[in-house]
Amino acid sequence: MKLSNLPVPVNLDTVANNLADPLFLVNRDKEVNWLNKKSRELFHTSDEDAQGAVITELTGIAKLDSLLDDVFEQETELKCSYEEASVKVKRQDQRYFFKISINPIFHEGELWGGLVQFTDVTRFHEMEKIKTDFVSIVSHEFRTPLTTIIVGVEMLKEGMLGDLTPRGKEVLEAIGADCERLSRLIDNLMELSRIESGTIYVEAEPTDVTDLVQEAVRPLKFQAEKQGIELITDIAPNLPPVAADFNKAVWVMANLVGNAMRYTDPGGTITVRVRQRGKRLFFSVQDTGCGIPKEHQDKIFRKYVQVSGPGRKGTGGVGLGLAIAKDIVMAHGGEIWVDSELGKGTTFTFTFPVYYGDESVKLPEAEEKGG
Amino acid sequence: MAKKILLAEDEKNVILGVRTCLDAVGYQIEIVEDGEQALDSVRREPPDLILLDLLMPNVDGYEVLKELKGKEETRDIPIIVLTAKAEEEDRQRAMDLGADNYMTKPFKPQELWDLLKNYLPEHDA
Repeated sequence: MKLSNLPVPVNLDTVANNLADPLFLVNRDKEVNWLNKKSRELFHTSDEDAQGAVITELTGIAKLDSLLDDVFEQETELKCSYEEASVKVKRQDQRYFFKISINPIFHEGELWGGLVQFTDVTRFHEMEKIKTDFVSIVSHEFRTPLTTIIVGVEMLKEGMLGDLTPRGKEVLEAIGADCERLSRLIDNLMELSRIESGTIYVEAEPTDVTDLVQEAVRPLKFQAEKQGIELITDIAPNLPPVAADFNKAVWVMANLVGNAMRYTDPGGTITVRVRQRGKRLFFSVQDTGCGIPKEHQDKIFRKYVQVSGPGRKGTGGVGLGLAIAKDIVMAHGGEIWVDSELGKGTTFTFTFPVYYGDESVKLPEAEEKGG
Repeated sequence: MAKKILLAEDEKNVILGVRTCLDAVGYQIEIVEDGEQALDSVRREPPDLILLDLLMPNVDGYEVLKELKGKEETRDIPIIVLTAKAEEEDRQRAMDLGADNYMTKPFKPQELWDLLKNYLPEHDA
């Protein structure tokens, strides 16, 4: 099916100018060669003014510079699109959020430039904000009644409010354990809503790797011992510091080790390793647990997905830990993945960049000034 | 001697929980249900320590902190914030206003006892 074969004359301009999304064609020097009607409207410009202007100046979105560099340096056909690269643009007192996709354009085998497409995700952002606020309010509201329950249960359990029958004690233990679960759920929901609201910053500071690992592992050692699991740390000598937000990095590590403990049987081993490869440090948590079925491996970093193994039911998790861990690692410019074999065990690995200088990253996206 | 703790909290059930908790280890406890009453109570008879909720009617916990930590005569009374507000900004704001400690709900009795022991080492039921 071709445009030129239609019964009525429709040219490419007509199509481009009726698109709801702004579209730019830029050359390798990032100069605008063409733009559609929506771009002219949104960025208050004309064909004449836009012609030859550098796209970052025309749009006021400085971030485009590095995004275009990324595409131009790859020199290969990229599938696009930069999911993480949505930018905030303020125009006439209205805020827009765009997702930016860039497709490289080749001419006679040479990279000529790129097609820059903005997709309006403002409505999506608004919905996210409503959801985030809701989660925050709900988790806040849960804390007060939970206080009464936990304090009461603990006092009863300790026998400070009178004697209990053995069955009564058993029931209280169960209530106590489920309260812990609820508390953990609330903490995780809050953490997630904080990350999603973009109001927190990841302050990447030079962070000592041994400190990081020890801080995460220390509180879990006792529990591991109680479960009959050997917890080993294996940190290569003389590692440089990583650029990381200490508390958040500790959270990620502790979460992975905690997960490993939930899926490892007594007599098993959990090994925390840190190695350097190039400008990155690789942190891995390897267990000898039940493993994760292949079909679940690509799903486990999604929200509200529980890792389940053969013959195992829910383990008290809420399916948020890994989603949060991924958000945190990615905000540091790192990566996280899983290798697992059923019956043999699982290894989670994440990377953090080696610290080279002053840097700080904001979650989840850079804010750009416009108009 | 038994130490006296002022609890400023507007949730009836939480009051019951905290009161039970403090009674068990022999603290004397006075309860007020808003910030204004808290300030009145401190003026009348300063306690050895204050457990302070942040969200309360009339005068909120932040105001109470500002008022008590800003005055020479009440500055040294330890104030532990007990709150459902778990955001870092809230903690920071309370600490900036002079709170001595900040405990988010929910908490276990042992955590509260441990914290109180730090500030009231010579308590004796």
